[in-house]
Amino acid sequence: MITIEKLTKYYGSNRAVNNISFTINDNEILGFLGPNGAGKSTTMNMIAGYLPMTAGTVTIFGSDISKEPVAAKKNIGYLPEIPPVYPDMRVTEYLSFCAGLKRIRSSERSGEIERVMKLLKIEDVQHKLIKNLSKGYKQRVGFAQALLGNPKFLILDEPTVGLDPNQVIEVRNIIKDLKKEHSVIFSSHILSEVSAVCDRVVIINKGDIKAIDTIENLEKKLGGSLTLHIKVKGDRAKTSNIIELTDGVQEIASIDAEGNDFFAFAVKLKDGAGDDTKNKIMSELISHGIQISEIYTEKPDLEAVFVDMINKSDEKNGLLELLDEIEPVSAEADGESDNEEKKEGDE
Amino acid sequence: MFSVYKKELQSFFYTPFAYVITALFMFLFTLMFNNALGNLDNPVLQFTFPDIFYNVIFFFIFLIPILTMRTFADERKFGTEVLLMTSPVSVIQIILGKYLANLTVFLFMIAGSAIYPIFTYLHGTLVMNQLICAYIGFFAWGAMFIAVGQLVSSFTENSIIAAVIGEIIMFVFLFIDDFSRTDFIMQYPKLQAFLYAFAAQPRFAYFSQGFIRLSDLVFFASAIIICLSWNYIAIERRRWKRG
Repeated sequence: MITIEKLTKYYGSNRAVNNISFTINDNEILGFLGPNGAGKSTTMNMIAGYLPMTAGTVTIFGSDISKEPVAAKKNIGYLPEIPPVYPDMRVTEYLSFCAGLKRIRSSERSGEIERVMKLLKIEDVQHKLIKNLSKGYKQRVGFAQALLGNPKFLILDEPTVGLDPNQVIEVRNIIKDLKKEHSVIFSSHILSEVSAVCDRVVIINKGDIKAIDTIENLEKKLGGSLTLHIKVKGDRAKTSNIIELTDGVQEIASIDAEGNDFFAFAVKLKDGAGDDTKNKIMSELISHGIQISEIYTEKPDLEAVFVDMINKSDEKNGLLELLDEIEPVSAEADGESDNEEKKEGDE
Repeated sequence: MFSVYKKELQSFFYTPFAYVITALFMFLFTLMFNNALGNLDNPVLQFTFPDIFYNVIFFFIFLIPILTMRTFADERKFGTEVLLMTSPVSVIQIILGKYLANLTVFLFMIAGSAIYPIFTYLHGTLVMNQLICAYIGFFAWGAMFIAVGQLVSSFTENSIIAAVIGEIIMFVFLFIDDFSRTDFIMQYPKLQAFLYAFAAQPRFAYFSQGFIRLSDLVFFASAIIICLSWNYIAIERRRWKRG
């Protein structure tokens, strides 16, 4: 298990990461989600032991990264945002160097390099110079490096950036497979990616954690009402009447005419309403002789959750920042504020 | 440490870099050698290898920063510093690995110059003890400036800037000897002694005369240790400072 406790990072007086705590369980993929500049890479650099933290601890399978860096780093495979590759090296040379850095025994090295090259499908470029590779291949070479030596904990900072859609799917599948033996923290600003791959999500903005939960729970928490889409052939007024009268329906959000008597209804359901309401509407419509050509429910998507989180927390953030700004000033200028209070009293 | 050393050597020897810089050194050495041969008839100027080395040093200071300029600057430029810092290798091991690799290339460079003493030995007489001392002195001198160059390389991510700053520092070290003997400085004997203590060139002169003095060895060794320690501090300091 990896424990991150009260991690804080200041660049000068500029706060990049503020007092964040979370854990990554064994065999779990944790998504680390946030807009650009939210502090994702800084946090990952601290977890990987590249940047020292201003305050807080990172414990990786029992080893504190700042107190026992070598022991902790042995369990880490890190793919930074920019793949750390040497342009003048060939792929196999590079991987062999990384294997040496990670202290993989020389007898096991070539087998291990073969394994990661096969996994990431970079065998066909193994004798090429890295500077001649495309961005997607460089990214995969960097990923291969992180997997060398089969470390128990993988830190992947935007691993699918620069890959083509096929490769994105491949890499996602690789990450999903990694779950069997590894703990993974995986950052992204692409929502669909996080929801496709991760078990739990940490949402971060401006250095603060906004939410830690499973994707389903996050969706539920934020007005988790479903939307029912129905496409019918028949009378529009009659159909809307039937729908509105059914239990569990909150409102009809929109009706689109699609020609030849077809109408597409988007119906917002009440919280907790689901399949029951759908079935009722279906049977009512059929009994009134209205043909249904399409019917499905839609969850609120993660995109909405995310935007909501960021916006909602912005207000709170404003307050917190205000408080933070006040605190140090008042601490420094305690005497002055006392005087001011007295003056006010005098007045 | 060995893997860093090996990788550095690969980056020198799998590219034309090591060969080009060695060829350049050989070119300089050959020029000096020919020059010395040309002066054979002159009764005032002697033909000795220490003299040749002494003259080569002046040009050689242009080569050392070129050798060391990429050491840390390129790691930062390509973002590969992250890889080194997050692997289970300590910063000291990284610095030593890189330093030893630079030293190895330096040895490779001066090894080439050995053909001239061999040539001389076959066709004339060779003063062995002076030659060996000159080689030891030249190596100590180079080892110190490699440490300086490596330190400068850790200050910037632009290798050209690292090279230029390195050249300037090496010029200062070279001319501090002459500078300390100017009339102005001579007025202040303590300052003169202080400046003179930093001069590397007179120390090389002792080696070239066939003296191995402990104080000179200590000077070079402590300069190397100070530069490498500073190198460590510079890297750690930037990790704490930057984003």
